[in-house]
Amino acid sequence: MTLKRFISTSILRATISLVVLSGALPTQAQKFFSFQKDSVPMFRGFAVSFDLVGAGLMAFSDNGQYEGALRINLHDEWFPIIEAGLGKANHNDDVTKIHYSTSAPYFKIGIDKNLLKDKHGANRLYGGLRYAFTSYKVDISRPDFPDPVWLWDTGYGIKDAQCNFHWIEAVVGVDAKIYGPLHLGWSLRYKRRISHKEGEFEKTWYVPGFGIYGDTRLGGTFNVIIDI
Amino acid sequence: MIKRTPYLLLALLVMACSSIDCPVDATVTTQYQIKNSDGTAWTLTDTMTVVSTRKDGVEVKLLDSVLYNKGINISEFSLPISYSHPEDVLVFQFDNSDNNLHVTDTLWIKKYDYPHFESVDCNTTYFHTITDVKYTSNYIDSIVIKNTSVTYDSKTVHFYLYPKSND
Repeated sequence: MTLKRFISTSILRATISLVVLSGALPTQAQKFFSFQKDSVPMFRGFAVSFDLVGAGLMAFSDNGQYEGALRINLHDEWFPIIEAGLGKANHNDDVTKIHYSTSAPYFKIGIDKNLLKDKHGANRLYGGLRYAFTSYKVDISRPDFPDPVWLWDTGYGIKDAQCNFHWIEAVVGVDAKIYGPLHLGWSLRYKRRISHKEGEFEKTWYVPGFGIYGDTRLGGTFNVIIDI
Repeated sequence: MIKRTPYLLLALLVMACSSIDCPVDATVTTQYQIKNSDGTAWTLTDTMTVVSTRKDGVEVKLLDSVLYNKGINISEFSLPISYSHPEDVLVFQFDNSDNNLHVTDTLWIKKYDYPHFESVDCNTTYFHTITDVKYTSNYIDSIVIKNTSVTYDSKTVHFYLYPKSND
């Protein structure tokens, strides 16, 4: 059994176990999804955030993303969140001479839970999930090269190929109050593709919002957050 | 927790290092099997050579020269397929000094070529869909398309070749 298959099987088993467990233990599940009973109101406002890691990648490499988020604060415990961004790549490979470019928006929707016991404190530790989606077009090309047997000049070009990509992210993050409405935070993300569609060329390289597919399933953000 | 943030970010960067994962066997070839008229596998007793003409007019041998030079009986073989030419023209030469056999047949393979992409780190290649095959029938009785899709898969047989001489 390969490592990838082993990990996939393990995740599947863990998911099934969780589902079975939640069915068998409804009281515990109810407790997990409930709110603490105190005098703090349910709706605690909104927060907007901007990711500096993706912007840094955009500034200093040939691929990256601008990403912002809107988060709803429910009793300092649950945080439904919408994230949206613009992912871009414009890569020229020195060895293979392949040019790859794409630019498209992407969207993520999910929820975080504050895992700290002191829910109403200045700092938070999040655990959460996201569903993410992007629809994008890619251009892939390289200069003409000779066929290795027949020597005819061979062009290679994929233009405006329509693709889509769906994935989920497991998120762990922290959020620290700095001053007034200003917070800083980071998140670590494990990303897993759940469905995709490319053209007949079958694979893409950089996927807006996901990053370089096949490279790593881990990602991260460093967020500037403002309560509104 | 906040004080540990730089260390965790550093660990994240280390884990995020890229790797190149190109296919090991990245050759795209067509696979042929020689068949008897009743559909069973057949081994040619005659020597077979396959040639084609390059862009510069030079005739190039396509079949693995080891099979030819050592006189190994051929029951299956693979041939290259052009990257993006709409039709490949292959000339099959059959020779046998015992009975002064020297016969040639020409094969025209029409195909649809489409670019295949793995990663910016991997060499470009083409996959193909065979759309038609025509041939002369001096030595060859018939050639049947078994599978139309030509990819990295070197185990898929694309053509069954039925020679006349095995009757």
